[in-house]
Order: sequence, then C-alpha cells, then structure tokens
Amino acid sequence: MEADFAFFVELFGHTMSYWWVIIPTIFLGLIVGAIPGFSAANTIIILLPLTLAMELEVGLIFMIALYSSSRMGAGIPAILVNIPGTAGAAATPLDGYPMTKQGRGQQALAMSFVASTFGGLLTTIVALAAMPILAEVGYYMHSVEMIVVMLFGISLIASIAAKDTLKGLIAGFFGLMIGSIGTDVVYATPRGTMGFLELYDGVPLIPALVGLFAVSEAFLIIEQKSILTDKGRELMTTTSWAATLEGTKIAVKRWWHITWNSIIGLIIGVIPGAGASIASFVAYQQSRTYSKTPELYGTGHPEGLIAPEAANNGVTSGTLVPLLILGIPGGATAAIMLIVMQYHGVDFGPSLFFEQPELAYGVFMAMLVTYLLMIFTILPLSRYMSRVTLVSTSYMSPIIISFTLVGSFVPREYMFDMYLGLIFGVIGYIARRTDYHVAAILIGVILGPLLETYFLRALKKSDGDIMTLFSSNLGNVLWVMLVISLVLPAVLDYKRRQKKSQETT
Amino acid sequence: MTEASSGNVGHEAGIPSVGGQLVIPVLSIIFSLYYFSTILDSPWTAQVSAFLIGGILVALSVLFILRTVLAARRGEASLRMKDLFPGADISSGRLGLFGVTIGYIVLIEWGGFTLTTFLFLFISMVILNGGQRKRMAALIASMMALGGYGLFILAFDTRFPRGPFETFMEAVLNRGG
Repeated sequence: MEADFAFFVELFGHTMSYWWVIIPTIFLGLIVGAIPGFSAANTIIILLPLTLAMELEVGLIFMIALYSSSRMGAGIPAILVNIPGTAGAAATPLDGYPMTKQGRGQQALAMSFVASTFGGLLTTIVALAAMPILAEVGYYMHSVEMIVVMLFGISLIASIAAKDTLKGLIAGFFGLMIGSIGTDVVYATPRGTMGFLELYDGVPLIPALVGLFAVSEAFLIIEQKSILTDKGRELMTTTSWAATLEGTKIAVKRWWHITWNSIIGLIIGVIPGAGASIASFVAYQQSRTYSKTPELYGTGHPEGLIAPEAANNGVTSGTLVPLLILGIPGGATAAIMLIVMQYHGVDFGPSLFFEQPELAYGVFMAMLVTYLLMIFTILPLSRYMSRVTLVSTSYMSPIIISFTLVGSFVPREYMFDMYLGLIFGVIGYIARRTDYHVAAILIGVILGPLLETYFLRALKKSDGDIMTLFSSNLGNVLWVMLVISLVLPAVLDYKRRQKKSQETT
Repeated sequence: MTEASSGNVGHEAGIPSVGGQLVIPVLSIIFSLYYFSTILDSPWTAQVSAFLIGGILVALSVLFILRTVLAARRGEASLRMKDLFPGADISSGRLGLFGVTIGYIVLIEWGGFTLTTFLFLFISMVILNGGQRKRMAALIASMMALGGYGLFILAFDTRFPRGPFETFMEAVLNRGG
C-alpha cells in the first residue's frame, strides 16, 4: 500500500471510527495524568492484562490516547494548585499558578489546553511528514552529545532561579547530588544510601515530585484561607465562559510561540532519555530569553505557560519516532508500548512502514485524532475545573497531603516511599520559604543518575580521557550553544538595564 | 509559590532575616561530605561523577555562606531564622498538621487507606479550622476516603495500603458477587 494523500485520508477516517475508545480514554488519561504517581506508564502497566487482550489496533489506540491525554492532564493540578501531575509538567506552575492566584485559573487552563492540543497536533503532523529525518537525530546522539544535552538542563537551573543565580545553582546541584544516591552502575557499590536498602536503586522520582511540590505547598497554603488573592477570589466567583474564550484567544494569538516550542519538544522527544521534563524547561528558558518582556515571567505571563505546555506535548510524538524507526523507546510509556507490540508479534524498524504502513502511520494518526477530539471534550471543562481553587485551604491541604503521599507508595509499594515523600516535603518547604527553587532541585534529581551514566560511558570508551567530551563535532556545536545559552540571558539583561537607565536619565 | 513563602518575610527593624537561607547550603555541605565518606574506598567509576558534582556543590555553598555572613557583618541582614520559622507555624496549625501527617504514615500500614485517610483528614481539618466545623470535616473526610476507596481500590484495583476496612469490604463484596 502506498502512503499517499488518499491513504492518509482513509486512515484518518478509519481511526476516527474508534472514537468510542478514544473519548473515554481521554478522560481516564486526564485523571491519571493529574494525580502524581499515576502516570500513563503506570496505568498501562496496571491495565496490561486488558491491553494485551484487546485487538492490536484497539490496544494501540488506547495506549496512544492515554499517553497523549495524561500529558495534558498533568498540567491541570500544576496550574490550579501548584502540583505537577508528572515531572514533565514541572515548569508549568512557574506562570500557570500565579495566574490562578490572580483568579485567572480558568483562562490559564484554556491556554494550557489550546497550547497542548495544538502543540501535540502540529508535532504529530510534522512527525508524520518528517519521520525518517527526525529518526536520524536520535541516531547521532551518543554519550558525549547526551552529556551536553543534560548540562543544558542543568544550566537552565541557574536561569530559572533568576533572582539569585547562585541559589539556583545550589538548588540544582543539591538535586544532582540527591539524584546520585544509590549503587554505582558498574560495581553496584552503595553510595549515600544511609543504610536504607530502599535507596539502592536510587531515589524514586514520585516521592521526590510529591514531596517537593505537593506536600511543601500544602504546608504553605494553610497560612491563607484560600490560595487565591482577595481580588483573585472576587474575579473567580464572577467569572463566566468569557474567561475560557479569552484564554483560547490569547493562546491562538500566540500560534507562532506554540509552533516553535512544540517543535523544540518534538526534537528533544526524539532523543532517547531526554524526555518532557528537560523539554519543558528548555522551552521555558528560551521563551524568556527571546521575550520582549522577560521580567513578566514567573508572575503569570501567558507565554511562560504556553511554552512548557506546547513543548511537553511535542515530546509525546517525538518519543514515538525512535520507537517506530529504530525500536528504541524515547520514554517509559513508549517502552511499554514496545513490549505490548512485540507481544502481538510486531517488529519495529524501517520495514514496518513498507510492510504494515497502516500500523506504522496509524500510531501517529491515533495521536492526531486524540488531540483533535481533546479540543472539543476538554476545553468546556476548564470552567468547572478551575472552581477547585475556591475550596478553603483548611480542607484542600489535608486532601493534597493524604492523596499525594499515598500516590508515592503506589509505584513500588514501599512504606518507606511515603516517609521519603514527607522528607522531600520538608526540604521543599525549607526551599520555598527561603527562595530556593523546588523545580531546580527536582530537575537535578531527575538528571543526576542520567548524567552519571552517560559520563561513565563516555569515559570508559575513551579509557578515562576527559578530553573525549570535546571529541565530537556535533558535541562541540552543542557546547558552543550551551555557553551561548548561559551567557546570552545575562548579556541581554545587562543591555535592557542599560537601556532603561538611559531612558530614565 | 505562595506570598507567604517569600524568603523576605522575616524582617526585623528593616533588616531582613536571612538565617534560614543558610539551611540548604549547610545541608548540602553535610550531605556531600557524608556522600564522599561512603565512596572513599570505591572504584573510580563510583567516585568520579560524585566528586565532581559534590565538589562544585560544596564550593557554591561555601561561597553563598560567605556572602551571607559578610552581608550580616555589614549590617545589611540578620542571621536570625525568622524567614524560616514565622509565628504562623503554631497559629496556622502547621505544627499540628505535621504531627498528624507523621501519625498518618505510621498508622496507614496497619489501618489501611480508607480508615486512616478518614481519621487523618478529619483530625487535620478540625485542627486547621481551629476546632470548628466538625460536622463538615467529618462529611468531607468520609466522602474523600470512601471516594478514594471506590475509585482507586474498587475501580482501578490500585496498590493502595489495605487494612481492616478493605478486608471487610472484600469479604462482603465477594459474598455478594
């Protein structure tokens, strides 16, 4: 079968006929995405017996719909209560939550939904069209290049905590050090585990996420009756459908911003292991760097919300590219899809596109249809979802603590992980109180083990020669870009201040 | 981040209290030194990355501590910890909530999700409401605990901690089914 226009039209119609699978899965994905500890990967694992029993096509559509909608769902609590559902949404509250406090939660949700759906839709189309070229990106990323990409993530830490770069760096490196807890990858020597066997596999991410964001926030918000400011509360109680429309308009007006950031997400998603957390911070940082109003970032700026949401949804289609072309999953959910597909006897690789094009392209078509249906099913819900912010903190705070701490128990079933969640909560509380960015600590925890793995791999290949870090052309280009990304914000900031002082004198 | 979380909350006669800002750097140094002590006799593969990251962290932390202490000596800041421990800790019920949370984690292993969550929610809500609105707290706590049981344990069969309530309900439902 030839993959021409008629083929894609027919495939679109065929996939659309599975709306009865996609729409309920969208709602399931929103719920699992919104609850920390219930990622799409975990849900697919829990429902694996069901997925394996389904027809291959139905199972595949179910997994894709769940994957896409859970990515969007993770942004909802991030915006409304400052708790990202997954690490990929850790950059979303930077501007989403301040909007909620100002009573613009409904508007922020609408913006997030539009940025997510259009970002996801667009990157799915791009991935469909440019599949072979995109796959090459993953093919060229070796240990050295990955180290630079990781360092990109770390360099963002300083930029995120722009008020005080030194504090940003301390928070990031503190996170990296926590992320280094566990046995080393070569000789399994336990390091920094304080004698806890539960830490031999490293620090589990869910308790870190739950503690740093949810528990610490829950202990902070009880000082006020509501998370909304007085003005915000007044605005929220009188708000109407107009806020959803306004949010949609604001996002649509910034279509170029959505396009650009979702493409960043797509490219980062293609790199195995990089993932949505790095993509969303890269998107946020570059969005602020090139903005005409960088000082508004962190105060509820629409572009600060749109950038990470478009990027982390762009990652969704990106992670599927190396899976389909090379058989290398770009993330945990893609890895589970690989297992399910192999169970059904499907082998990945370039030949899949010639032998079973309806299946290979069908994966992306399922994603495209899911994003299309999401626009119509989720956007109207933003008004009702945002009402959660009107609940008094004396009720909201204990509910957040209990459900998120139990969420940290679920992945490994260790009681230890609940204690760990509370310890991270205390660290997060101290960090928030004293202006250290919790997102910087979290990204450090995420990148710590990855960075070490690639670092060791590069050193082992070169017999311990540290200069290997500068041995690849692509790596060197990335190094230059990294230095530029570190220096440029400071230069631009200096120029802006100079211009302002000239204007005032 | 809430307004209350701003690091500049603890002002004293116009001088900001910044002692709390030293907690994370001091913790970082202590943890890095402890980490180094666990890898001293390890092969180089277990050391190289940690020494590099830990070394940078210790250097950054020392730099920050020096900067803060110098600012305090110039009279621009106070090293008191009011930014970290405001009076609102007791009045807001934060300390009480923290104690109940520890109790929740300790008890949930035996009490199971539903019963322990109900107790935790009820007691916390009563503390945060200053002993008022007990009926409302009981209603919300029971709705959330039973709702959580229905959604996560009954519907999704999620691996939540199980206790007497879950065991009893399982027996009832199995007999009924």
